[in-house]
Amino acid sequence: MSEKYKFDTMSLHSGHVPDKETGSRAVPIYQTTSYVFKDTDEAAALYNMEVGGHLYTRISNPTIATLEQRLASLDGGVSCVACSSGMAAMHLVVTAICSSGDHIVASNKMYGANINLLQHTMTRFGIETTFVNPNNLEEIEKAIMPNTKLVFGEVIGNPGLDVMNVPEVAKICKKKNVPLAIDATFNTPYLMKPITYGANVVIHSLTKWIGGHGIAIGGAIINGGNFDWGNKEKFPTISGSHFALNGISFWEEFGPSALTAKIRAEGMYNFGPSLSPNNAFYILQGIETLSLRMKKHIENTKMMLEFLKENEAVSWLRHPDLQDHPDHKIAKKILPLGSGSIIVFGIKGGRDAGKAFIENVKLSSHLANVGDAKTLLIHPGSTTHSHLSSEAMKMSGLTDDLIRLSVGLEDIEDIKIDFEKGFKAAAKISSKRS
Amino acid sequence: MYKDFKGNKVYFSTGGINLVNDRETLCFVHGAGQNHYSFTQQIRYFVSQGYNVVAPDFPGHGFSEGNQTTSIEEDMLWLAELLASLKIEKATFIGHSQGCLTILELAEKKPELVRGLVFVAGAMSIPVNDFLIDTSIDNPEKAYDLMVTWGQDSYGSFSISDWPGHNHLAEGNAIMKLNDSSVLTTDLKSCNLYENGKQAASKIKINCLAVLAKFDMMTPLKKGLQMVENIKQCDYKILECGHFLPIEKPKELNALIKNYLNTLK
Ligand SMILES: Cc1ncc(COP(=O)(O)O)c(C=O)c1O
Repeated sequence: MSEKYKFDTMSLHSGHVPDKETGSRAVPIYQTTSYVFKDTDEAAALYNMEVGGHLYTRISNPTIATLEQRLASLDGGVSCVACSSGMAAMHLVVTAICSSGDHIVASNKMYGANINLLQHTMTRFGIETTFVNPNNLEEIEKAIMPNTKLVFGEVIGNPGLDVMNVPEVAKICKKKNVPLAIDATFNTPYLMKPITYGANVVIHSLTKWIGGHGIAIGGAIINGGNFDWGNKEKFPTISGSHFALNGISFWEEFGPSALTAKIRAEGMYNFGPSLSPNNAFYILQGIETLSLRMKKHIENTKMMLEFLKENEAVSWLRHPDLQDHPDHKIAKKILPLGSGSIIVFGIKGGRDAGKAFIENVKLSSHLANVGDAKTLLIHPGSTTHSHLSSEAMKMSGLTDDLIRLSVGLEDIEDIKIDFEKGFKAAAKISSKRS
Repeated sequence: MYKDFKGNKVYFSTGGINLVNDRETLCFVHGAGQNHYSFTQQIRYFVSQGYNVVAPDFPGHGFSEGNQTTSIEEDMLWLAELLASLKIEKATFIGHSQGCLTILELAEKKPELVRGLVFVAGAMSIPVNDFLIDTSIDNPEKAYDLMVTWGQDSYGSFSISDWPGHNHLAEGNAIMKLNDSSVLTTDLKSCNLYENGKQAASKIKINCLAVLAKFDMMTPLKKGLQMVENIKQCDYKILECGHFLPIEKPKELNALIKNYLNTLK
C-alpha cells in the first residue's frame, strides 16, 4: 500500500528512495549524456517510447526525473517535464499544442518575456494571441474562438501583481473545451496548486522560489492529466497522428500523460531545451526547504508591508494581501497562506529618487531576478525601461517611481535599516525637486 | 481503434497500428475500474515484438460506449464476441485483476479461443469489501483514490517511476476518471458475484503463467498462489510491488510474458 504523504514530506522524498546499489541518501547527480542499453530489444523499446527509461539526457535523465516526479507530486499533476528555463517551458507548451493558424488567449498582465513570446515571436509562426484583462471573465470568454487552443495566464502577474481568478477562468475553459495553462512561478505549489482549481497545465520558472537560491536557471511543465484531448480536428498534435513512432496518437496511447509524452517526443527531441543534471540537483536541494522558505518569505513580506505602509518616502504600495488591492478578494480565496513575496511600491520623487534609493541600499541586491533567498530590488525606470519616457512607461503599465521588491529571508530588521538608508538618499532628491 | 460493435462505438488499443492477418494475437484484459491505459507499457512493446495486440476498453470504460456488463460471465461473452467480430480465432490472454476472472471464465467456456493465459495480480475470486463498494457509489473519486493508494506500493508513495516524470498515484486516478462514474461499482459487484473461478482454473489444460505481487492489497499474494496450485501447469513469479504491477514493474512483466510466449511457439 502506498501512503499519501503531505507537502513537506513530498518536498523531501518524492521521486527518490536511497540508491539501490550505493545506498546514497542524497539524490545522485547522474552527470551523463547517455545510457548503455541492455540489449537491442531495450534500445528499440526506449527509442519507440514503448516503456519508460532513459536513453539520452536531452530527453530524460535520472536526476532530472527525480526533480520532475517531485514537482508532479507537489503540484498534484500526473506527469512533468523539466527543462532549461521558465521560458523554455512556456515555449514547449505553446509549440506542443498550437500550430500555424491557431489562436491563444492570454493575460495582458504577464511577465514581459511571456508577452513578447506570444506577441512578437509566435506571430511570426502564424500563432496569434488575443491579450485580455486576466480578471475580466466576460472578456476572456468572448476572446475564445473556434481556433483557440490555449488560454494562458499567471496566478500572480509579474510585475503588476494582478491575481487571476483561476477557478472561474478554468470553468470557462472547460465549457469551451480549451486547456488552461497557468504560470505559477510567483506562488509555487506551497501557496497554491492551480490543478486543484481546474487548470490543466502548470508552468514554473524553477529559477525563482522553487530553486530558491538564485543559483540555477530551470523550468518545468506539470501536466494535470485532466484535459480531454480527444478532438482530433481541434488538437491534432496530441490526438492526431505523430510524425514518428509509427504515427501513433499520443492521446490514444498515453491518455492522461499525452501532453508530456508529446513534449518529450517532439519538444525535447527536436528543440532540445534540456536542464543540466547539476542544475536539477541544485533545484532539488532548494525544494527540500520550499515550505520553510515560503513561510519565512511570507512572514517577512507581511512585516515589510507594514514598514512600507508607514513610511514617508513611499507614495503608493501594491500587494494582493493589502485590502486596497483590486484583486484582494480573489487573492484571499485562492492564496489563503499569502500572495507571494513580491511587493511593488512607488517612491516619492520619481525616477531620480528611485535611482538614488537603489544606489544607496547595501544589503538588498539590485538585479534582474526574483525569488532568491536574498532580498532583491529592481527599479525599471533606471534599468530595463530607462530608455522610455514616463508616458511610454505608463503605456506598459509601469511608472517611473516604481520599485519591485523581492522579499528575502534575512532578519527583516536589517532590511528595514538598509531601506532607511536608501529612503534617506531618495528624500534628498525628492526635497531638492520640491 | 474504434469499431461499431453491437450498436455501440467501442475502442480497443492495437498500439496505434492496423491488425496484421497472420500475426499471433495478444489480448490484454483490464481490471475493475480500469481501461486500456493499465497496459500502456505493454501494448506497444508487444506490437514491436511482432504480435497483434488487442486491448479493449470494456463498455463504459475509457473510450467505449454501451451498457456496462454486470457479471464476469457477461464480460467473457462480450470479449469473445468482440474477438469474433475482429476475426480473431485464437489469442493469448493477459488479464489483470478482474481481467484474470474474465480470462479464467473464457478458458473454461471457450477453450478453443485460448492459446495461452497470463494472470497478472490475479486470483480465482476477488471478494470486495462493502466499504469500497459503498464508497464507489457515494463518491467515486474517493474510491479511485482508495484503490490507487491501496493498489500501489511504495512506488506510489514516493512517486518513484522508471517512466521519467510520471507520478503514478495521480495518473492512476486520472485513468479511472476517464470511465463512466458508475463503472467501478458495477465492476466491483461483478468481482464479488463471481464464484466459478476455482472450477474454471481446475479445468485448464494448457501451460499458464501467473505474475503476482508480493505487496498486493487488492488480490493478496496468498490468493494468487492458491490459483497457481489449482491450475495443472502454471509457472509463477512474484515481483516486489503492489497490485498495479503492469505500471510498477513494466519491464520485469514484459520480460516474463515474452519468455512465456516463447514457450508457446
Ligand atoms: C512569472 C515568470 N514566468 C516566467 C519567467 C521566466 O523564467 P526563466 O528566467 O527561468 O526563463 C519569469 C522570469 O522572471 C517570471 O517572472
